Amino acid sequence: MGFLDNSGDIILDAVLTDTGRMRLARGDGSFKIVKFALGDDEINYELYNKNHSSGSAYYDLEVLQTPVLEAFTDNAASMKSKLISIPRNNILYLPVLKLNEVFAGTDTATHSTGYFLVAVNTATEDELITDSSGASITGILTGESPGRSGSRIRVDQGLDTNAISPGRTLDPLLVETQYLIEIDNRLGHIVSKADATPASISFVDDDNIASYYLSRGTDREYVSEISDTTASTLQVIKGPRGTKLNFKIQSSLELNTSDYLFDTIGTTGNITGKNGATSHKQIKSTVRVIGVNTGYRLDIPINFVKKV
Amino acid sequence: MATTFKNFLSNDLANTRTLLHEAIPITGSIISGTYGGSGVAIGSETNIKTYGHGMFESVYDYPYLSSSANQIFDVTVGYSSTSPVSASGNTQNAKKINIYNQMAQYLVGYDITGSIKNFKMPTDNVEMKECYFVPFSRLLTKDEIKKGSFALELSVSGSQTFTQGGAAQYFVDRVKLTDTSGSNGYYVDSPAGEYGVLFGSTSAGATPLLLNETLGTAATNPAVGLLYYQAGVAVLSASIFNSSSLGGLIGTPAGDTAPANPHIANVGDVTTLGFTLNVTGATIAQMADGLRNRIYNISYNNTTELNSTIYFCRVGHGDFNYSSNPTYLSASQIRVKTRAADTPVTYFTTVGLYSADNELLAVAKLSEPLRKDPTNEITLRVRLDY
Repeated sequence: MGFLDNSGDIILDAVLTDTGRMRLARGDGSFKIVKFALGDDEINYELYNKNHSSGSAYYDLEVLQTPVLEAFTDNAASMKSKLISIPRNNILYLPVLKLNEVFAGTDTATHSTGYFLVAVNTATEDELITDSSGASITGILTGESPGRSGSRIRVDQGLDTNAISPGRTLDPLLVETQYLIEIDNRLGHIVSKADATPASISFVDDDNIASYYLSRGTDREYVSEISDTTASTLQVIKGPRGTKLNFKIQSSLELNTSDYLFDTIGTTGNITGKNGATSHKQIKSTVRVIGVNTGYRLDIPINFVKKV
Repeated sequence: MATTFKNFLSNDLANTRTLLHEAIPITGSIISGTYGGSGVAIGSETNIKTYGHGMFESVYDYPYLSSSANQIFDVTVGYSSTSPVSASGNTQNAKKINIYNQMAQYLVGYDITGSIKNFKMPTDNVEMKECYFVPFSRLLTKDEIKKGSFALELSVSGSQTFTQGGAAQYFVDRVKLTDTSGSNGYYVDSPAGEYGVLFGSTSAGATPLLLNETLGTAATNPAVGLLYYQAGVAVLSASIFNSSSLGGLIGTPAGDTAPANPHIANVGDVTTLGFTLNVTGATIAQMADGLRNRIYNISYNNTTELNSTIYFCRVGHGDFNYSSNPTYLSASQIRVKTRAADTPVTYFTTVGLYSADNELLAVAKLSEPLRKDPTNEITLRVRLDY
C-alpha cells in the first residue's frame, strides 16, 4: 500500500474489507453496517512535544505531518488502535492490559523462550510439563488436556502507575467489563481456567481468526474483578485495578492429529524438557486480547509445539 | 462507560446513484497499422486474433499472446437469408446468415410469430440486410456507451487498392459515423436496451462523399448504422461501402475514378469493389480485415453506474477524545496531558465501519491526520460504491 497524497484537500479512501466482501457475497443480510469507530494506527504520540520552544501551536506539528497509508482490505490489519469516548475530559490516566506472569509462579509465567508453549498432544505434554529433574517448566499449556495442569494465561487491567495507590478504586468509567480474544481457529481454542470448558466463538472471519467475547457478567469463569488492592508482589498493575481475564488454550484437532500445518507454516527446533533438548515442530502465533470498552489491546506470543 | 464505537442513526445514511464517464479514444493505427506493415500478411498481425471457426476476429491493443493485452473489440459480418447477396455458393454463406440472425435475435428480437426480425433503420423503416457488427469489449464500454459521444471515422476512398494500414492516399476520403442525436433521440424498442442511429458525414475530402449530402448540413447526413448503447455493439450498414450504383450511399468523390466503391476485402481483383461484390467471395475474416483497415479512428465515452451508500460519521464534541494507541500512554498517564484539567487530544487517520457483532466490514483512510478534542465536532462522509 502506498501513502495517500496529502498535498491538497483531505481525501477519504474507502474500501470494503475482505470480511465485508465475504459477507456481501454470502447474501444473507449479514453485511450490515451499524456503527463506526475511529483509528489512529499510524500516530506516534511520542512526537507530541509539550515542551516545544515555539509554543503550543507547534506541539503537534510532527504528528500532523504523519503520512497515512492507503486503506488495507485485510480486516485484521486495520483499526488496531481505536479512539475512545469517555464522558469526562479531566482524565489523566487510562487503564492498560498487562500480562500477569507473577500471580501463580509457573502457572502464569511464560516459557523461557518468551512464549507460552501449547503442547498439542499427550506425548508433547509428557515431554515438556517437567524437566529432567522433575521440576515444573513454566509457560507450558497442556493443549490436549487443558485440565491436566494449572498453567493458564492471565491478563490484568488497571492503571499501571505509581502515582495513584492501588488502594484507590478505579473509576467505573474505566473498568473493562468485556474482553475480546482473537486466536487462529486452525491452531487452538479458548477454554476456561477452572474446568477447561470451551468458550463460545462469536464468529470466525475469512482469515480463520476466531473471536471470543467474554463478559464480566456472563462469563465469570473468565472475567472477574481484581480484589487485591494492596501493593502485592503478585500483582503487575501498580495502581488501581479493574478486572482480570484468565483462560487456557486447547490445541485444535488438526494440530493434535496431523503435521500438515506444522509442515506448512511452522518450523522445527529443539525444546528442553524431560529428556533434555529434543526436536519439536513449532508454529509461532499470537493471541490478541482487546478490552472491548477501553480499546486497549495486548498481543500474547504463543508457540504451538509437537514432539517429533 | 468508555466506548470505542458509535452507532449510526437512521439519518446518518444516504443512497446515491452517480454516472461516471471515461473517454475511450482508439486510434486507427492500433487497429490496422502498428502491428502490421511490410512482411506481415493482412490478418496475421500480432494483435489480431482469428479463430478456427472463422466466425469473427478480435482486435487487441497489444499482441494478444501477451498477458498485457486487452481485447478492445471484435469484428464480424453477416447478411440476412432474404438478402439479395445471399446464395448457397457464397463463401461461408451459412455462417454469415447465422451471424446476422444471432445478432438480430439478440439486438432486434422476434416478431409476434416468433420469427427473428431483421435490422431496420428506425428513421425510414428500411431493413439493413447486410451488416458489419462491431461488439466492443466490456472493459472499454463498462455499463454502456454514453449517448451522443460515439464517433467512428472510416476511409471510403474508392480508387485505392486494398492495402494494410493504408497508404497515404488511402485515407484521403473519409466519412465520420456519429450518434449525434443519441442524447435526445434514442430508441427503446430493442430487447438489448437503448439504441441510437449512426449518421454519416464527410470528414475529409473536398466534396461531399455521401449521396445527397450537403457539407455542414446535418439534416442531409444519411443514416448508416445503429449503435446499441448497453450492449456496446455498433451495427454498420453495408450501404456505407457501396456506391449509389450498387444501392449504397457513396457518391463519386472528386479526384477518384468511378465507380466509387471502396475496396473492402483482400480478395478478387481490384476491379471487384464495394461491400456487396466482396462479401460473396470473401470469408468473414477477410471482410473483417477489410473493415479494420478502413478504420481511421474510433472514440466514445463509456459510462459506469455507481450506486453508493454514504455514511455520515458524526463525531460529537464529547466523542473520541481519548486513544487506545499504546504510545498515547506513558506509565498509564496520557502523554498529551500534563494535568488532569488539560484538554485531551487525539489524532485519527482511519474510519472503520462495523457490523453489529463488531466485524470490520469497511475501512476508510484520511489522507492526513485529523485532530480531535472536546472543542470541535467533525462529520466524515464515507462513501461506499457498489
